[in-house]
Amino acid sequence: MGKVAMDGAVTRRQLLAMIGTCAGSAAMYQAMSSLGFAADSSFKGPTPLGAAPQGASVLILGAGIAGMVAAYELRKAGYRVQVLEYNARAGGRNWTLRGGDRYVELGGAAQECRFDPGLYINPGPWRLSHHHRGMLHYCKVLGVALEPFIQTNYQAYIHNSKAFGGAPQRYRTVKADYHGHVAELLAKATRAKALDEAVSTEDQQRLLQSLQEWGALDSNYRYVKGLNTSEVRGYEVSPGGGLSARPVYSEPVQLSEVVSSGLWQGMLLAENYDMQMTMFQPVGGMGMVGQAFARELGPLIRYNAKVIDIAQDERGVSVTFEDTSQSMSRQTAHADWCVCTIPLSILGQIPMKVGTPMADAIAAVPYAASAKVGLQFKRRFWEEDEQIYGGITYTDLPISNIAYPNYGFFSSGKGVLLGGYLFGLDAAEFTAMSPQERIAKAVEYGSRIHPQYNAEFENGISVAWHRSPFTLGCFGMWTEEARSKHYDNLCAIDGRIVLAGEHASYMPAWQEGALTSAVDAIGRLHRRALAQGASS
Amino acid sequence: MTGAVRLRKRAPLAALAAVLALAAGGARPDTTVGVVGIFGAGHLASTSGEVIYQQICQGCHMPDGRGASGAGHYPALAGDRALLSAQFMALTLIEGRRNMPAFGGKSQEGFSYIVPTLDDEQIAAVTNYVRTHFGNQFKGTINAADVKALRRPH
Repeated sequence: MGKVAMDGAVTRRQLLAMIGTCAGSAAMYQAMSSLGFAADSSFKGPTPLGAAPQGASVLILGAGIAGMVAAYELRKAGYRVQVLEYNARAGGRNWTLRGGDRYVELGGAAQECRFDPGLYINPGPWRLSHHHRGMLHYCKVLGVALEPFIQTNYQAYIHNSKAFGGAPQRYRTVKADYHGHVAELLAKATRAKALDEAVSTEDQQRLLQSLQEWGALDSNYRYVKGLNTSEVRGYEVSPGGGLSARPVYSEPVQLSEVVSSGLWQGMLLAENYDMQMTMFQPVGGMGMVGQAFARELGPLIRYNAKVIDIAQDERGVSVTFEDTSQSMSRQTAHADWCVCTIPLSILGQIPMKVGTPMADAIAAVPYAASAKVGLQFKRRFWEEDEQIYGGITYTDLPISNIAYPNYGFFSSGKGVLLGGYLFGLDAAEFTAMSPQERIAKAVEYGSRIHPQYNAEFENGISVAWHRSPFTLGCFGMWTEEARSKHYDNLCAIDGRIVLAGEHASYMPAWQEGALTSAVDAIGRLHRRALAQGASS
Repeated sequence: MTGAVRLRKRAPLAALAAVLALAAGGARPDTTVGVVGIFGAGHLASTSGEVIYQQICQGCHMPDGRGASGAGHYPALAGDRALLSAQFMALTLIEGRRNMPAFGGKSQEGFSYIVPTLDDEQIAAVTNYVRTHFGNQFKGTINAADVKALRRPH
């Protein structure tokens, strides 16, 4: 019993075995303490593979970021490359929905995107870190223009429906008040000699000075209404010129409310390594990256190809697929090697000739739920009425985010918001709704933060990732335990097949994870190909 | 959509970073005061098998229980012979299976903040519901105590 399913997902056979012997003695799961999610990109610049063996060929499954990076580099090295893609477009989760696009989710619900020209949402990834060097490199190489993605906007809101009477609070005041009160408390403790054991007398003076400046404290180390605090948290009436602009200081929120409101949580994200400014987004939508790769690779990509069998022997790889555009006509592609980037949620259902270690690894990773909703409004009221230019509002409501467009500032026309970005139970519940219900719910929740929603809303579109026909989920959830048992087996070359994708990385859900996994995989594959000599 | 989300344990910071990678938010720690969070791992309040099915399961298995097919597929629960065993279904919910997340809560400690959790009573309720709807007429029921017995010791 103790041998089965030490990781997250289990197979049917294992479940049956467990029932048979009565679950009782299996080892408990370890709480995970670290997932390696904050790992830096391993991409340190383009590293040419060198020349391919004469005539060698590689079949790549999936034209997402991983697959297309692999195709691009392998072709450059001289391999004969073919890519099979399930969708009628390239990019995979790298995807932008614009006016005129049509999306049919699993279950058959069809949506027509009715956004005005130039407006869009990214249902999947939507930002690039400045240290995601691989993505930035390929954007540059492919001519994909980047612009700032505003992760932190001090004028946007942090909102708790159960605090401040449900009124959203400006990020600016939440941050100032939180820092101010923490500084005051620490100064108080220092001056009361509570830190004498931990901090030398000299350092205490330096610490006090830093707390005073960092926390906007007054000369008595208090966080109180006045010039200092208004200079960080903003004014009741802001200063201006002439006779009509005498400033009025604002009143800080008291400590107990700052703490109990929980609003400080809304500031944590931007402190995360992968979310620290500067962040970028492609001009025109994240999908511009996938489109650029597709242009570059051209006829190498075969679209509408649904892989149904992956076989290999000592001489090569044979992949059978159905052409979904031609009444499922069945064909087989052959190559010396295979880079498979199909999400594990799907790959686990495809008959595949690999050894038990890789097969077990493929079966060990459940997929997370997530949903996004894009909403078009008649005017950019967040800018016109509230002076919010880009960035994100965080809320405890199920929508969790309202993200404002980081482009088209001050334009007088319509605007599209990301009206919801959901995880967990909220995402599961949104997934279980029809697209129209999701949009209606996003409007209902969002109107509690922006009452303008009710008058200005025009149309929307929603993507729930478990309903996505090409991924059946958002991203692979590795527990530390599953990773320790299966990750290396997932990434290791099995015969002539190697896997790549965000699921084969320590950066789940990030495109940089997919990209670096592909670079790593093709490097190893190339070395093996060289070791084996020319094409068989 | 129920608004009654009971919040679960605090997510480890490193794990928090994981979700942050994707979403834009923070954790939703266990608390009695109202707390802003970004992720509702959450625990559904309802103990109705029908409600649980409609709010979670049908996201993949579809409102009619017939599953769906794209590049991969979600199995139909309607007419699924594997449901002959209520224990099989309950254990699948607890442990997850392949790409399906574990809803039993404890088996995916690190992800308890992004995978909704169901307790023994809820797992029994939705198991009984699925085995007797969508044209299914499987005999026998399962209760919370039976589900509890299926859980691996911790």
